[in-house]
Parts: sequence; C-alpha cells; structure tokens
Amino acid sequence: MNRRVKQVAAVMLAGAMAATMIPVQAGAEEGEKVKIKIAWWGGQSRHEYTQKLLELYQESHPNVEFEGVPSGWDGYFDKLSTQAASGSMPDIVQMDYMYISTYANNQSVADLAEYVEDGTIDVTDIDEKLMASGNIGGRLAGIPLSSSIITVGYNPQVIADAGVEKPTNDWTWADYVDMSEQISNKTGKPSAMISSGAVGDTIVFHYWVRQHGASLFNEEGTGLGYEDDQVCADYFQMWKDMIDKNAFTDPDEYAQIQTLGQEAGPVVTGDAATVFDWNNYSARVSVANDTIKLVTPPLADNSDNKGLWIKPGMYFSVAETSEVKKECAEFINWFVNSEEANDIIMAERGTPVSSAIREYMINSGKMSPQQVDMFEYVDLAAEFCGDTPAPEPSGIAEVNEAFSNAGNSVFYGQATAEEAAASFREEANLILERNNRK
Amino acid sequence: MKKKSRIHSVMFHVGACILGFFMIYPLLWLLASSFKSNDTMFQNAYSLIPERWDVVTNYLSGMSGVGGVPFVKFFLNSVAVTVVGMAGCVFISLLAAYAFTRVRFRGSGFWFGCVMVTMMIPPQVMVVPQYIILKRLGLIDTLTALTLPWFFGGAFFIFLLVQSFRGVPKDLDEAARIDGCGTIGILFKILVPVVKPSIVTASIFAFYWIWQDFFQPLIFMSSTEKFTIPLALNMYLDPNSYNNYGGLFAMSVLSLLPVVLFFIIFQRYLVDGIAMDGIKG
Amino acid sequence: MKRKKAGRRNHYDNKTGYLLIAPWLFGFGLMWLLPMLISIYYSFTDFNLLNSPRIIGLANYTRIFTQDKTFWQALKVTFTYVLFLVPLRLAFALFVAMLLNKNHKGLGLYRTLYYVPSIIGGSIAVSVVWKQIFGNQGVVMSLLAAVGIVQKTSLLGNPKTSLAVIILMGVWQFGSSMLIFLSALKQIPYSLYESAMVDGAKPWKMFTRITLPMLTPTIFFNLILQIINGFRVFTESYVITDGGPLDSTLSYVLYLYRRAFTYFDMGYSCALAWVLVAIIAVFTVILFKTQNNWVYYETGED
Repeated sequence: MNRRVKQVAAVMLAGAMAATMIPVQAGAEEGEKVKIKIAWWGGQSRHEYTQKLLELYQESHPNVEFEGVPSGWDGYFDKLSTQAASGSMPDIVQMDYMYISTYANNQSVADLAEYVEDGTIDVTDIDEKLMASGNIGGRLAGIPLSSSIITVGYNPQVIADAGVEKPTNDWTWADYVDMSEQISNKTGKPSAMISSGAVGDTIVFHYWVRQHGASLFNEEGTGLGYEDDQVCADYFQMWKDMIDKNAFTDPDEYAQIQTLGQEAGPVVTGDAATVFDWNNYSARVSVANDTIKLVTPPLADNSDNKGLWIKPGMYFSVAETSEVKKECAEFINWFVNSEEANDIIMAERGTPVSSAIREYMINSGKMSPQQVDMFEYVDLAAEFCGDTPAPEPSGIAEVNEAFSNAGNSVFYGQATAEEAAASFREEANLILERNNRK
Repeated sequence: MKKKSRIHSVMFHVGACILGFFMIYPLLWLLASSFKSNDTMFQNAYSLIPERWDVVTNYLSGMSGVGGVPFVKFFLNSVAVTVVGMAGCVFISLLAAYAFTRVRFRGSGFWFGCVMVTMMIPPQVMVVPQYIILKRLGLIDTLTALTLPWFFGGAFFIFLLVQSFRGVPKDLDEAARIDGCGTIGILFKILVPVVKPSIVTASIFAFYWIWQDFFQPLIFMSSTEKFTIPLALNMYLDPNSYNNYGGLFAMSVLSLLPVVLFFIIFQRYLVDGIAMDGIKG
Repeated sequence: MKRKKAGRRNHYDNKTGYLLIAPWLFGFGLMWLLPMLISIYYSFTDFNLLNSPRIIGLANYTRIFTQDKTFWQALKVTFTYVLFLVPLRLAFALFVAMLLNKNHKGLGLYRTLYYVPSIIGGSIAVSVVWKQIFGNQGVVMSLLAAVGIVQKTSLLGNPKTSLAVIILMGVWQFGSSMLIFLSALKQIPYSLYESAMVDGAKPWKMFTRITLPMLTPTIFFNLILQIINGFRVFTESYVITDGGPLDSTLSYVLYLYRRAFTYFDMGYSCALAWVLVAIIAVFTVILFKTQNNWVYYETGED
C-alpha cells in the first residue's frame, strides 16, 4: 500500500464512521447516553435470561448501555463489600435480606424514596408491608423483587404410604410431631427436616417466636425481642426430642443431604415426608419431582397464629456512588412492573411482588402447576400472616452462627436446652449491641 | 536373586496401584459424574459407572458457557494469565533467590525476612488493600490485575530456590569465576542446570496455583468475558436455584486437563536432574 | 550473624544484590508491603468495609484476648491441626518419594497419580466425595461397623472426630511435599552412594548417613512451609465442614475470613491476621535458629 492509497482509505473510513454515528446522535436527543453496571448472583439459567432481559430493555431504551456482572452466590458479597470499600459499587446490585441493613446503615446504597415519590418507580401494586421491609432507618434501601413465605413442602406419596392423614392448614405442632414420628416409625428414616437445617438459621425459629407473641429482635435491632428464654428452650427441646426418636434429620444427616443439592433432597426422592422451605420450593424441585405439595406451617396453641410474614426474597439496590440513579430507578420499575420483563423472568427469582403481575402471570397460562401453587400460596397464607417484622439487623449472619452453635450443643448433648437458650441470648445481645449501637 | 527382585517389583506395583486408586478416586468420580445426567447425578452418587452413559450433553451444555460467553474464552483467559504469570514468577524468583544466596548486600537479611512474612500473612486480609491499590492504578477488571500479584515472583518460590542454591557447593561458582564467568553467567551456566529439578517443581506449583486461583480473581474481575475458569465454574452454582451440576462437572474435568498435562510433561525433567558429579569432575 | 571477616567474597556487593532483587522488590512493594501497611492500619480501626475507618487504638487486640471465645476455639483447632498434620504429611511424603526414587517401570504414572489430590485441591468434587466417604452412610461407617464399631454419628458429624478427617485429608494431599522431596533426592550426587556401596554400607545406613543429611535443607524447607501453611489452613474446613460441627473444625483463617466478609468486621479481622503472623513468626524464627544444629548445607556456611 502506498501512502496515497492509505490516505484515501483513511478518509473513507472516517466518512463511514461519521455516517454510522448519525442515528446515535439522533437517539441521544431524548437522553444522554448512560452506562449502567448491574450485578447479581445466581445460577446458569438466571445469568442467561437476565442478559436477555438487559438486551430487551436496551431495545426500547437505546440511550442505556448495560454492563452485566453475573456471579455465583459464593463470593458475591465478599466482592460487593470490597467494591464498596473503594467506592466502586456497581450501579444496581441484587441485594439479600441478610445484608441490606448493613449496607443501608452505612449509607452505601441510595435512598430510593425520591424516585418512588416522583413516580419513577411505581409501587402501587406492591404490598405495603413488603415495601416497608426495604425501608431501613428512614432510608428506602431497596425495592423488593420477589416475596417468600415460609411453607412446609410435603411428598403426598410418602404420607399416603405411611397411612397417615396429609397435613391441612389447621394442623398444629403436636400434629406435626405426631405425624413425623408415625411416618418415621414406618420408614425407619427421619421424615421431617428444615431446608436450612434445624438451627442453620433463625427463620423458622422467628416464626416460632412470633407465634408466641413476640419478635425475634427488638425494634432498634440492639437485642433479642422476646423476654422468656423458655420459648427458645422449648424450640431446641422439640427438635432434640424428634431427633432422639429418629423423626427429624440430625445435623450429621443434614450435612450429608446438603451436599447432594436440593434436587436430590430426601423429600424429593421419597425418603422423607416434610420440609420447611419457601413457597417456591415445589417449583424449584419440580424438575426432579413434580408431585410435591405445599401446606402452611403448623399452628401453635393459645396463639393468635399470625406468625407468618411476607419476606422479601431479594432486592435491587442502587449504589449511593452511582451517577445514574434516575436511569437505574427506571430500569427497576420496568423489571418489577412490566409484563414483557416478567414473561422472561418467569418467577425464577421468586413470587413477583406486584399483584398485577401475579395476576397476569397466572392468566397467561404459561405457569407450571407448581408455579401456580406458589402464587396461590400467598393468598392461602394471608390468613396466618402478621405484620412484617423490622428488617433483620446488622450482624444477623453472626447471630445465626451463634444460634446454630447453641442449638447444636443441645443436639450433641453438650448442653441442656435451657443452658443453650441462655447462652444464645448472651451471645446474640453482645453481637447485636456491637453491630447496632449508634 | 532375580526371583526376589521380581517379587519385590510385583509388591511395589500392587501397593502403588492401591494407593494410586485412593489418590485419584475423587477425580474418577468427577469424570464419571460428568457423564451422568443431571437428574440421576446424586441418586446413585457412589457408583463410578453411570447408569446411562451420556457423554455429550453435559459437555455441550458446559461448553456453551455462562452469561453469553463461551467456555473457550474462559479457557484462553486462564491460559494467558497462567503462562505469563508463571514465566515471570519463576524467572524473577530465580534472580532474587540467587541474590539472597550468592551475593552479599546490605539489607539482604531484612528483605529475606520480608519474603518470609509474605508467606505468613493470610491472603484473605490482603485482598481489600490490593483491590484499592489496583483500583488507583486503573487495573481493576483487567487480566493484568490477575497476573500482577504473581508476575514479580513469590515468597514460596524464592524460598524454594534459596534452599536449592544453598545445597550447591560454592566451589562451583568459584571455579567458574576463575574461568572468567560473570555473575549472570554463573547463574545460568552453572547453577540453573544443577537446580533444574527445583525450577521445574517451582514451575509446576506456579502453574497450578495461578490456574486455580479463585479468591483474587473473584474480587478483582467484573466482566464475564475476562473471567478465568475458576470464576466461570463458580457461576454455575447457586444454592437457591436449579443447578447445572452436569455442566459444572464436565467443565471441571476440562479445566483440570491442562494442569495434569503440564505435570505429566514436566515431571520428566524432575527425573533428568543432572547429577552434580558431571560438573564436579 | 557471625561470619569470618577473611576471604575475598566477604565484601558487600550492594549494586548486584539490589539489581537482582529489584523486580521482586517492585512487585513486593506494590502488592504486599503496601497492603500489609494498610492492613496494620485497619487493625487499629473500627472498619466494616462500608464505613470510613475510625481509629480505636488497641481495642481490637484487647477484644481478641479478653472477649472472644471463638478466637481461642479457632486457635485450639489450628494448633491441633498443625501438630498432627505436619509430621504425618512430611513422613508420608518422604516415604513415598523414597519409593518413587527407584528404577521401577511406570514411575511417571505413579508420580502423577499421587500428585492429583494436590491438584484438585478444594474443588467441589473433592468436597462431595469426602463428605460421602466419611458421611453417615459412607464407606468408612460401613467399615467401622464391620469391625464392630457401630456409631450413629459419622466421623465428620462428630465434633470429636471431625478434625481428624480434615487432618487425614491434609495428609492425603501430600503430593506437593513429595514433589519437593523427589526433586531434592534427584539432586543428591550418585557418587556418594557409589563410594558407600564400595565400603559395603547397608541400605539403612546409607539412608541415615547420606540421604537424610543431604535432605536436611529440604526437610527444613518443607517443615517451615508446612507449618506456615498449616497455620493458614482454610480451604479444607471451608469446603468440607464449613467449620462445623460445633466449631470443631473452625480453623483460624476461616474464622478470620468470616469476620472480615460475613460479619463485616474488617478491622478486627486484620488484627486477628497480625496475631496469627506473630504466632507463625515465633515458630519460624525458632526453627531458623535451630537449623545450624541439624541442617547440612553444601555451601559450607557455619
């Protein structure tokens, strides 16, 4: 190539580039070109449809350019906190219930209230209590994307084989214990379990405490919310007794089950009868077993039985450091409220928060029977739902660990239920005090 | 005499094979599981032989990658980071180790102490400050950020080579120096051939460590198309949704291949370590 | 360090020395020294990663020693781990390396097989398989039952035995140490054995008189390395037991990691890290001090 040819080529290239730039400039008149970095955790399928979702959104919003940051669950929050430490959080982050308080209390995530007020994010179809869960210390730290309610998933076949009645919404803890023991006597295997382990976290215990008319944490999150340690001791003792009778999976068996992944869980494979989980349980395992049914968790005697609550599954939060908060809010609104988005999401992130979307999804006929069960469970459980508790306080991960150790010390016979309940209180108060003092 | 040695040999091989089986059982399991279908994966988790052979599905679904990036891309990223990182790491460690053992300079004791402390500090608390520094340098989310912590040598490698150099008699360098060899000449002409097994060992370690490094890449990288294999594998897993274990295991098998191959190729050089007599005589 | 003043190699050659370590020094300063200084600073602050660090003096350090029960538990676990793992792994690695240093057929294959556990390290496959072997329906339970030891809790699920399984897993990954021993064995001049054989020495005598002394630098190296890495054990307890049951396998670094990232307690975690460095440093310095008594260097340093 001689110099002349090169010059011509350069001119032509420049011309071509200028030509391609014209439509872009036309589009930019509506809004300046913005880049939104968005991070989420999930498995392979979530990564794929979320990317599709971003592309779809770009079609109708040509000024927006996304940078998707998919991640596995492992390490997602390690990375997020490191980024926060250097002021480089992605603009939109998928946020978990366990961590949102910490991020809100440290002003790492933006207050989205102004975008709700100016109508950018339409929350009219979202349950108020659910929305309130994202409000931490007067800061709307996140918009819930999905809701979950505690449920008991059961395998009807196992129950029928054991010759016992299948559970109904008015069953009590006594019924639950009784049924579990009967089935276990027949099968010789533990028939009851909790997906996260008997004392793996405080979720089911929280339900138990609420049935006893208290809350797990006090309003300020600086200590436990129940007065009587007997509540906790009874809880430990109930599981301990069931474990001793081989009716409930002990921590050892649980560790084994956990390895196999939930699609091979004992309820799915027909080795156990019941499991405490969230209301998307049957939909999640339907690939492996499509006969699983849902029932509300056992009721307590002498209780108003408003122990359940609608728990946000996950949120979208916007980084305080983001320079495109408004555009982020627009996207979140589309994600939560638009039919085209939810056609792609297909409730994979849990029950959609918008009642209009739920209705649309059910009517669309695209839902699997398990997904319909999951949606209908929300109405079914409403009767037993009380106020949504204050968001979990900072330090909850550490409290869960203390709870787990206290419970396990009972199961391993190293402490009585009363001792464990007292030591849990001591530990938990210390942790909460340290994390939430002003 | 001959009979006895044959019996010895048979005993040796039987023992070695039994031990070998225990050693690679998890690898065999991984290989077998990569041929099982997702729904039967854990139902007969013990067996090494799939009920239904399904050689293709998992590998195809794994190869399709994650988040729109094909698996080959992750593979290439890993290769680039590992090869560059390893080369720099071994070479620069070699120079440093040579200095610590054969050159007297002020502060050498102090700097060697620093080498040791680098080995002692848990990397888990280093990653946040490292992130902040890389961020200042504008290197976050670049493959350079993944190479950098390795490229300039590592404490382990320096220590390993220092120990090998100290096992080599100093008469060797003295003799070479009298023959007119310079400082660099002594290192490459005299010492490197002698400590070749250690250099190979260091390279094998460097290759494997950089290849499987998870935590630093996890924190430093954001763009999927720049992910290395361990990060990509992690993206297959979410405890709360349906997991493609088949694809994960298939890709795990593929990701272990280079490390095993690298080892098989280079372990020969461990055998061929030049006996020092040759040089001495 | 005492050195004789005589000899022409005793002059300082600062220029050459620093030229040779310059590349390393650059990387060290950037990626290690600076981060270390920052983390020392964090250790004196209340820092949860999201706030700006607030200096609180020695409060983190006093909290470690006066208020933190988990710290002592993690320390106990880690010391036990190091105490058992290091001798077991080294003895086993040396034994296998000696066996593989002979002229048998297929040695390359065995070397590869034995190195495999070190390669697959903490991958999910290992975690699944180990949990299955030592879990409550695993092979080991069946074997124990066959010899009359019937237990309800598995070895991994029992707080009294879980750490033993983790240690066993560490021994299983003896490949790296074996490799280092192997390469050292290759570097022992064959002439030494030849002259010993001429003198009619027995194999055991050759081992104690030639092999072992010639290996001391490598044994020393492996010992230091294994102690340091033993104290920093993380992956094994992270992927197999996640510290449980009842914190019986909660290693020091796993605890420190949780503090930093799960409990948002980075300042405290940095303090924990430097306490660990101090502990490891004490052991390392002691070993370095004793090496003159038992480590044999060809270089003839005193």
